[in-house]
Amino acid sequence: MRRLSLRALGPTLLGILAFLGVLAAVAGWMPLVLLTLVINLLIFAALAYSINFITGLTGYVSFGHVLFMAVGGYGLAYGVGTLHWHPVAGVALGALVSLALALGIGAVTLRFRGVYFAIASQVTALAGFYIVLEIQELGGGQGIVLNVGFEPIAWFYTIWVILAIEVGITYWITHGRLGYGIRSIRADEDAAKTVGVHAAALKLVLFAISGLFAGAAGGVYYWQGSGIFPNEAFSLTFSLIMLAMIVIGGMGTLLGPLFGAVAVYLSSQYFLTVLIGFEFVIIGVLVVVIALFLPEGIVGTLRKYVPELRGLIE
Amino acid sequence: MADFAALFLADLVLGLLLGCVLAVIAHGLNIIWGVAKVVNIAHGEFIMLGAYGAYFLYLYAGFNPLLSVPIDAAIGLAVGVGFYFGFLHRELRGKESMGLQSELVTLVSTFGLSLVIVNVAQSIWEHPVGILWSPGSAQIGPVLVPFGGLYVAVVSVALIALTDLFLTRTYLGNAIRAYTQDIPATQLMGINPTFVAAVGIGMGFSVTMAGGALLTVWLPTGIDPTRIGILYAPISFVIVVLGGPGKMWGSLVGGLTIGLIINVGQLFLGGSIALATAVAVLTLIPILLFRPEGILR
Amino acid sequence: MKRTLAVSNVHKSFGGVRAVRGVSLALEEGHVLGLIGPNGSGKTTLLNLIAGVAKPSKGEITLDGRRIDGLAPHRIVAAGIAKTHQIPRPFLSMTGRENVAVAALYGSNKTRDLPEAMETAGRVLGLVGLAGKEDVASSNLTVQQRKRLEFARVLATGARILLLDEIFAGLSPDELRDAVALFARLQGELGFGALVVEHVMRAVLTVSQHVVVMEEGSKIAEGTPQEVVQNPAVIEAYLGPEAGRAPP
Repeated sequence: MRRLSLRALGPTLLGILAFLGVLAAVAGWMPLVLLTLVINLLIFAALAYSINFITGLTGYVSFGHVLFMAVGGYGLAYGVGTLHWHPVAGVALGALVSLALALGIGAVTLRFRGVYFAIASQVTALAGFYIVLEIQELGGGQGIVLNVGFEPIAWFYTIWVILAIEVGITYWITHGRLGYGIRSIRADEDAAKTVGVHAAALKLVLFAISGLFAGAAGGVYYWQGSGIFPNEAFSLTFSLIMLAMIVIGGMGTLLGPLFGAVAVYLSSQYFLTVLIGFEFVIIGVLVVVIALFLPEGIVGTLRKYVPELRGLIE
Repeated sequence: MADFAALFLADLVLGLLLGCVLAVIAHGLNIIWGVAKVVNIAHGEFIMLGAYGAYFLYLYAGFNPLLSVPIDAAIGLAVGVGFYFGFLHRELRGKESMGLQSELVTLVSTFGLSLVIVNVAQSIWEHPVGILWSPGSAQIGPVLVPFGGLYVAVVSVALIALTDLFLTRTYLGNAIRAYTQDIPATQLMGINPTFVAAVGIGMGFSVTMAGGALLTVWLPTGIDPTRIGILYAPISFVIVVLGGPGKMWGSLVGGLTIGLIINVGQLFLGGSIALATAVAVLTLIPILLFRPEGILR
Repeated sequence: MKRTLAVSNVHKSFGGVRAVRGVSLALEEGHVLGLIGPNGSGKTTLLNLIAGVAKPSKGEITLDGRRIDGLAPHRIVAAGIAKTHQIPRPFLSMTGRENVAVAALYGSNKTRDLPEAMETAGRVLGLVGLAGKEDVASSNLTVQQRKRLEFARVLATGARILLLDEIFAGLSPDELRDAVALFARLQGELGFGALVVEHVMRAVLTVSQHVVVMEEGSKIAEGTPQEVVQNPAVIEAYLGPEAGRAPP
């Protein structure tokens, strides 16, 4: 057995855990406005870490990740509305259905490279939307309104646990044997296979984890919103926000998704007060500029140009 | 039974007419894909801008969508050249082909662009706007043929034919085709690759925006910035893959296929256009698995 | 136990092109088999068939009597066979050591422990003459260094049968001499078996005990290096029919 020392975990993980720890400790005393803001920030971060598993780590760009978020939401709505379960059980249901769906879709679409995967992901999300419209048990085009209580503390701790697990898994994957396999896939998938990396299995596992957590975060989001409506749930906006967060923060990094979530969520809240819709214009411009000029995102760029930070952030 | 046959015929005709216009909006993407080997994720938003172009020409000049085609095409050419220098030049300059990293950059940056365009459009035009143009229709046997759809289909096919003629019969067109095959060889032939690529991309945008103008005939509820990109971009991608990226007539084959699946397919899916559209876009998956080079050989 | 790779009557067609037409060969661990032939004779395709990159249309490939044709590339590596790329394909975003560590972590003697894999990687880089390049980004290596990195990667997988695709191509005469000497020394020390596809006749004849000659997808000759260079069919394939008919 190797000794597990705190120092060995690295400052980035410790920093994120400290940040989460402080939030958890003070959540009960936060004013409601601030608590709502924090809950949404954590939901955004959970979504960012979820897409980071597949797009950030392997370079397979998913333009249809909203599908998993929506499925998580519908799982919650079905569990709570029809089966009369506790919302947390509903979140779990949505996450598991999302996981199963990701396994099924990924088994096929992960065979496609580059733009073909990107298009296939977008197309599956669009097809999911049209199929849900026809399922009366899921409310068809009307959606589902839930009659759940206003429980900000329950929302907070649910999404907190989800995010903490995601950060832990991200760390475990990027700092171990799997991390090397995944980086080799991202660098040159065919070459990776010829040194023994089972690329298909690794990608599928990552995609499934990604689906699981996007579903879980979606569940909490629609629990908080006490209902889900297809036009909103499948709108491309969330696919785009998820991608924007990791592009801005830094793809495939441990800290990047959190940075991206803070940047995107806070700017969206700020610019929302200026003009509705304007927040996405700003985010879109940011994505264009960062993709073209700083393709490694905030974290990657800081590591590149500020050598002192290299040991601190990852 | 006779009723079904009549319905079938009517939907067959509508499917073919719709297929032609879907073909032309996908054709723009096909050209861009062929030239730059990269997909413009903001494709749907440029279709939308083309549709708005037609709307404003209708509003201020009383033009019908057919008349606005050449103007939209001219604007598209300029927009496309701008797009090339903004988004593709850095990735393509001095390279033999688009690398994986550049592909990622282009996918992500054009997606950012789509976010900008959609939300600017949404802020400016909050409600869907429509063009009132109904040149009538004719009852032929059991089939009601709308003239608007018919004219648009004819113009669509003509546009595809024109691009094909340009690419195969002109010096510049052949240079673009050479560029799509082999960038270094283009340079050896003494052709300026930047110029050729910019014109090729411009042509793609030209067709895309003209297609957006033609599409307005099929948008009875109007141009809705939140809906056009989300639907017509994936449909365009699927059509290009069905026909085979880079194959000019592939756009038409793919477009007709999707038009038929949507209009005829809904007859077999309880009249649900939604399910038929889902089936249509999902044809992408078996095609990629079993015929990655597209339907056409 | 010495491992034996056997290829029997293997065919491969791409569309209408018959790239490999009924080739058989055998290779035992500890031996070096040269595979030569003009451009487009199907050598690289044959290596890809063995490595699992492509599936044979017909025929069998076995390792110690167990069928391995049609297995996925990573399973071939797990079985103890690894291939280099004709044009080196390092993981450009990684350092030299990390490149080799991936092979140590995922190869046939899978190391689960990271520090151990790093140590193996450093040792193997030293073996192939890349000591000092451990922490250099592989994108900054020269072509010759990249070729050595490819070689280090297959060694680190723990493979006992190596498929080496033109590792001596494109080297200057001095570099070639060094590379051949290095290869011969490592082969003697480590005792792996190698199937060496090569254009450079001199190199392949020096390192191989046995040589197979392919032309247009078929095996046209085999034997010791001396036998092969005197075989009229081989001379004809390389130098044209006139040369083949001329007296020796």
